[in-house]
Amino acid sequence: MDEFQPGEETSFVVDEVSAIIKEAIESAIGGNTYQHSKVNQWTTSVVEQTLSQLTKLGKPFKYIVTCVIMQKNGAGLHTASSCFWDNSSDGTCTVRWENKTVYCIVSAFGLAI
Amino acid sequence: MAEQPSAEVSVPAQAIAAGSTEAHPLRTTRRGSQPFARGTEEGKPPLLLSRRSSILSTLPAALASRRSSLGAAPGGRRPSIGPWMLHSRVSFSGLPLFQPILKTRLENTYRIGPDEGCKFNAGRVQRVLEGALTGALETMVYTPQGSALLAQNLVEMLQSRAKEVVPPRYKLVCHVLLGQQAQQSLLVASQALWDPKSDSFASATFSNASLFAVATVHGVYFE
Repeated sequence: MDEFQPGEETSFVVDEVSAIIKEAIESAIGGNTYQHSKVNQWTTSVVEQTLSQLTKLGKPFKYIVTCVIMQKNGAGLHTASSCFWDNSSDGTCTVRWENKTVYCIVSAFGLAI
Repeated sequence: MAEQPSAEVSVPAQAIAAGSTEAHPLRTTRRGSQPFARGTEEGKPPLLLSRRSSILSTLPAALASRRSSLGAAPGGRRPSIGPWMLHSRVSFSGLPLFQPILKTRLENTYRIGPDEGCKFNAGRVQRVLEGALTGALETMVYTPQGSALLAQNLVEMLQSRAKEVVPPRYKLVCHVLLGQQAQQSLLVASQALWDPKSDSFASATFSNASLFAVATVHGVYFE
């Protein structure tokens, strides 16, 4: 690991990742209304697409992508995350998305190797 | 060492002199053209010579004003070049010089994976999570204002509990979802790109009459 110099392209760029996540959500859920039978497929699709796009960036990171899809029912929801990592090299990006019937929260964590 | 400060300082001082509002008679007659355009016009050399001397005389003044802005001015002194160098040394030592931050170089451990038996024990972490969630949330009731703080405290508590049981050289990502129990449907999914031999995750859920909680801890080995 000594010869691998950390440079501009090996840090977690939040904007880039945020754009990737938004695109994945739009393509998977888009304007659909909540359907219990389809939720499984949606979450899988969001997570897989996000992860494959992140891999294409080609950065030396391990990724963890979490997706929560909830039906809009007037209920309250809180999410919190805490990470034990190296602040200088690792990062996270969380995107909250909603439409008329669905709340979607996607978090992507990138940990440098 | 004596040369260096003067070299560094002279360039910005010239820039300051060029941009300063000290109305030098020569510069005003030059109709606002570039003061340092050298040798392009006839009859300029005599002007340049005198201008150079005037610049040198204004140099300490500019420096003194700059030093005062930096907060190390010793009072309205206009020294000549020799003592100016001495004073420059004094003023530079008076400026707050930060010690270079020593970066500790760690030796290479030549380890690419966790030791035998030292892996992320998903079952153990799950039991710890379940115990912690039940203990913390058994008697809680969902409130819109209080639950945000509760979620944050919960995630920090879970992280510290998980750190106790996880082997060293593991990075942790803890995620907690706290929601109101209201007959709605919810799905939590996660996927990761990692080394399956060394990295893993554990999750636990808890629910009572008014709220539900989902906690996930991902452990990633750090080379």
